[in-house]
Amino acid sequence: MTTVDRRPDSSTTAPDADASPGTASARLPGRSLLRIGPVSLQVRRRAVLVAAALIVLLLLAVVLSLSLGTPYVAPADVLRALSGAGTPYDLVVFDLRLPRIVLAAVAGAAFGVAGTLIQSVARNPLASPDVIGITQGAGLAATVALTSGAAAVLVAPTALVGGLLAAVLLFALGARHGLAAQRFVLAGVAVAFAFRALTEVVMLTADPIDGLRAQIWLIGTLAGKGWTEAAWIAGTLLVLLPVLAWAGWALNSTALDDDTARGVGLRPVARRIGLAGTGVLVAAMVTAQVGAVDFVALVAPQVARRLVRAERPPLVCAALLGALLLVLADLAGRRLFAPTQLPAGVLTAAIGGPYLIFLLLRGRRRSS
Amino acid sequence: MLSTRDLVAGYDDRTVLDGLDLDLPTDAFTVIVGPNACGKSTLLRTMARLLTPRRGTVLLDGSAIRDLPTREVARRLGVLPQSPLVPEGVTVADLVGRGRQPYQRWWRQWSPEDGAAVDRAMALADVAGLADRPVDSLSGGQRQRVWIAMTLAQDTDALLLDEPTTFLDLAHQVEVLDLLHRLRVERGRTVVAVLHDLNQAARYADHLVAMRAGTVVAAGPPREILTADLVRDVFGLACVVVPCPVTGAPLVVPAHTGGTTARPVTPSAQPADDGNIPLAGSYPSKGL
Repeated sequence: MTTVDRRPDSSTTAPDADASPGTASARLPGRSLLRIGPVSLQVRRRAVLVAAALIVLLLLAVVLSLSLGTPYVAPADVLRALSGAGTPYDLVVFDLRLPRIVLAAVAGAAFGVAGTLIQSVARNPLASPDVIGITQGAGLAATVALTSGAAAVLVAPTALVGGLLAAVLLFALGARHGLAAQRFVLAGVAVAFAFRALTEVVMLTADPIDGLRAQIWLIGTLAGKGWTEAAWIAGTLLVLLPVLAWAGWALNSTALDDDTARGVGLRPVARRIGLAGTGVLVAAMVTAQVGAVDFVALVAPQVARRLVRAERPPLVCAALLGALLLVLADLAGRRLFAPTQLPAGVLTAAIGGPYLIFLLLRGRRRSS
Repeated sequence: MLSTRDLVAGYDDRTVLDGLDLDLPTDAFTVIVGPNACGKSTLLRTMARLLTPRRGTVLLDGSAIRDLPTREVARRLGVLPQSPLVPEGVTVADLVGRGRQPYQRWWRQWSPEDGAAVDRAMALADVAGLADRPVDSLSGGQRQRVWIAMTLAQDTDALLLDEPTTFLDLAHQVEVLDLLHRLRVERGRTVVAVLHDLNQAARYADHLVAMRAGTVVAAGPPREILTADLVRDVFGLACVVVPCPVTGAPLVVPAHTGGTTARPVTPSAQPADDGNIPLAGSYPSKGL
């Protein structure tokens, strides 16, 4: 008997393999190819639409935020001032409001990026900089600086060092298991609790007025901040731009388990270290500058994911949504109970929370 | 094309393979069989560089696999792990497209060749009609064909599969095995699979590797090596080996009935003189 005929006819179970040669799918569903010279990128068509819509909304929110307040500046005058025509409102628009609004947009984008990277490594939609201890590290350092009478300009650099220290600890604890998702989150939770406990010790032993200042810092506020903070965050994102371009691609394969990833020639541990490292770096920088507004980092990636209808958070849309969310939160914080200002950190939770719940409920109804 | 030299591998403090030398034939369907915990999965994972050996070498076309860049290995060797995690919400075409990873960079995310390879792979594994469906909405058999399609999209000469039929019903097992058979016969791929079912192994394999306790007990064409002695040796199971009525391949029938419902056929009905036919009631109590 030959090799072939000792087997049953295989064509009874499956149609001929080559029945449809070259049926030109040749592309992934819902994706388009973006070619720029030698560069070819897979782009989700829906992500492009969502990004365009978010940019329009972001610009509207910026104009609205520039316009509202005391004194009120009509949107037309805002636009005229922005065009450089030289209006009586230049002082209000450029010096009083724009710095803070730009900071809100940049910081929101950074939180969106950090949240997306951290959630994808943690494989957990609830992971954010404050779940893995970065916020607490920055918070402890900032609290120490604020309660020990250090100069105001030293608070942010100190907080950055604290955030990075927490990141180092997180990596040291998570590294033994190749920064696997569960290990990463557990290590982060441990770091977070340790730093939070220390922060509370510092607070309790501090002067009550200093303690209150530290408390406000911890909640996160944009009041009294502007170009300097925005420049630090934007600079960080700019320097990391090549890494972020890689990350946008590498995020595609974080859903594969390690064996499968290795099988297709990836190095999952190196990839996780790269993604998580970038995420915590951005998180530490932005938290050091504006405090713990990190509910944006939690909510922006997940809302963006649902808007794009992707299986994982899309990096660019999450950044845009983070920017939009923080600009709106800061505006609401300024205006809702004017003249009393609420810290943006309170408002991000108030706006983002219900929306996330709404999306969760809607998603469940559709899938059931 | 795939060989191991003095391979020592294991997990934590447990050594599973201790100095294994093995050569797998090119352009053949090799099936590795053996009892649970005999090291067959460890061997496959080590050969696929999913597990780093403590000592010794895995050779791919003569060069040590650990010295090759993992992307290059992924263009020559596809691997399907035992029960891969199904990513939530990912469509079939998307997942199959991940198989093109070794040919892509972040600045070159898709080429016409990627598209052609994905189409070919989906057609070959018969999942083209499912292209837009989320993988987590598919049945077990469909999923397994999608995973195989993903490894096919890698366009490799060799394919390693760790228990590709586990958790599938009989019809789907046959479907997957037929697909692997076609890959080998029509596409000239080298296929290596770990299987649990001895009869399926005998039916589909060109080359059978029987393992026990981390060593290779026998290797060769199933018709030459698969005997009742081998099964007793490897699995500790008394059995009768008869020609399969459909294919003529060796068919392993456990001799021990467990004494409840069925009774063995009378020994006189069997060929009497090969020493492998045990008498009713005289078998070791292992097995069924």
